[in-house]
Amino acid sequence: MGWEEGVVLVGAGEEEVEVNRSNQVNSFNLKDYKLMPNKPKIVCVTGGKGGTGKTLVAVNLAIMFKNSGYKTLLVDGDSENPNTYLLMGGQLENQTEVPFFKPKILEEECTKCGICAKNCAPHALLYIDNSVPIPILTVCSGCRLCYKVCPVNAIEPDYKVIGWTYSTKAYDVDLLIGELKPGEARSAAIIDTLMNKIENIIDNEPDKYDIIVLDTAPGAHCDVELLIGKADLVIPVTEPTKFGKLDLIRIIELIKILNKDYRAIVNRSSLLGFRDQFMEELNSMNIPLLGDIPLNDDIVASYCQAIPLMDADGEFDRSGEGYQAFLNIFNNLREWIGLNK
Amino acid sequence: MNSHLEKKIVGVISGKGGVGKTSLTASLASLANDDSEINPVILDVDVDAPNLSLILPARSQDAIQIKSVYATLKASFIEDKCTHCKQCYDEHFCEFHAIKWDDKNLIPIIDYLSCEGCNACKVLCPEHAFEINPVKSGDIIAYDSNKGFPLIYGKTRLGSTTSGKLVSDVKQYTQNLENYRDFNLVLIDGPPGIGCPVIAAISGLDFAIAITEPTPSGLHDLMRAIEVIQQFNIAFGIVINKSDLKSVFQEQFKEFIKEKGFDILGKIKFDLSIPTAMSYAEPVVAYAPNSDASLSIKEIYKTLKKKLWDSK
Repeated sequence: MGWEEGVVLVGAGEEEVEVNRSNQVNSFNLKDYKLMPNKPKIVCVTGGKGGTGKTLVAVNLAIMFKNSGYKTLLVDGDSENPNTYLLMGGQLENQTEVPFFKPKILEEECTKCGICAKNCAPHALLYIDNSVPIPILTVCSGCRLCYKVCPVNAIEPDYKVIGWTYSTKAYDVDLLIGELKPGEARSAAIIDTLMNKIENIIDNEPDKYDIIVLDTAPGAHCDVELLIGKADLVIPVTEPTKFGKLDLIRIIELIKILNKDYRAIVNRSSLLGFRDQFMEELNSMNIPLLGDIPLNDDIVASYCQAIPLMDADGEFDRSGEGYQAFLNIFNNLREWIGLNK
Repeated sequence: MNSHLEKKIVGVISGKGGVGKTSLTASLASLANDDSEINPVILDVDVDAPNLSLILPARSQDAIQIKSVYATLKASFIEDKCTHCKQCYDEHFCEFHAIKWDDKNLIPIIDYLSCEGCNACKVLCPEHAFEINPVKSGDIIAYDSNKGFPLIYGKTRLGSTTSGKLVSDVKQYTQNLENYRDFNLVLIDGPPGIGCPVIAAISGLDFAIAITEPTPSGLHDLMRAIEVIQQFNIAFGIVINKSDLKSVFQEQFKEFIKEKGFDILGKIKFDLSIPTAMSYAEPVVAYAPNSDASLSIKEIYKTLKKKLWDSK
């Protein structure tokens, strides 16, 4: 097996639970990179707080990698609100449905014994004595236990569509996008589908990409954890506000739990003149930095016009503060990854 | 409190993150508190990144109540009972791929992150070598803020993978307060997105405030959030933040909102007094009451109040 077993401690305080993190091993450590030159390097852009510039950074990093000759895949893992393609003026193409299990109860077979409902942990089967159970799909976890425990095979697996994945292309960057259907709750299943697709590419076409950039949702929930767990390097994007700082500390805590290497980006760093103070605060907390991006009109314009700032043929001012900030970040990232192209 | 106004539950959501949910909530809370007809209780259910407490800190540190919530279910493995039959792995007991196999020790390994606590391994293992136990999902923190009204918020324990459940728990905790009946405004600062935590946050609302900014992603995410709000049949109004943003997208944005016929609660121009107020840990209506942003938010408050209580 490719994964190592091992037990680590999660969280802090009296309620520590022994858990296993064997899922991480599908990704590989930076130090192993030389042994596996054909595997793409996975960079995850995240942030904790919403609206700090995750997608802006992810899109422009992907464009810069492409500009430098790397075969690049950008994965939009914010399935609740996928925005990467919007910032690149792209379209959603090549739609694939993401199916999700739902129990189909065959009334004529059902003996109304209630065993399925008794075993359903999220109480997604409403059972009243001597009647056919009624599935409550909004709370169903999709575990299929009902189907497996029914003594008379009166439950069949059925499926509903909870979202879609798309593969498209913009600015010569391949895009893989997950989208949750509005009203559905189980975004983690969309992320799972994306991860399987990535794994398939890595297993079957290891040379297809040099770089995979992952863009995550805000927050620190399952979806974000899954994507960070998949990455070699993690880039949390923050802003120089109290909110930004608090959420950065929290997302770094999660990154540390997942045992990943990280460097932060401070976006809108010139906001209200807090830059130096904020950078100093991060420094005193030993948070490593990849760079900072000042408030800049070109960035706002590129965002609103759906033309990436770092597009090689773009019209944005290359001596501008925004452009230069991204170049600096990219150079630092290249050095960090150990790429020399 | 002798207000005649009946209780209303209002949530602030956005789809896109970072468009001003928390800043708006803090200011509306402050205005509601100054309103003699309103007795507010404020909730922050952005449990992954609860920030409201930074602007509305506790009146005193001693009065902060913290309740740990153990609502997340996770499987654990009892090695003594295992007969190494490998059925759990070979027969895919776990739909979430949380059961891996340790070839060296011939035992299953549970991937804590993927485990949904669904019961399948426990029920299906012929030797009963799995158990399902509750683990800590997070904390509910409750206190009287420095402005007087109570603030209740949830904070997930990182790695517990249960944000949506904790959102419901925070709302439940509030409803169980002894003096819950005394409040006539429950104002909820919601999480970004449209998934599980958002659905948990908006269920049971009387009114949703959907805040956005005039950018392509702001509009895209707003539309998705509205789709969810409409599925739940909840009345809503839109607040446009940074409404004067220099953007070629402005016209398209205005056109679109107009075409849809959505209700605009109000607009807030880009105003540095908002981040400045935040840096002083104050709602902008308290820090700079005569700033453009504050005047706009006061208008929004008035409109909201009319919508909630004069709707006959």
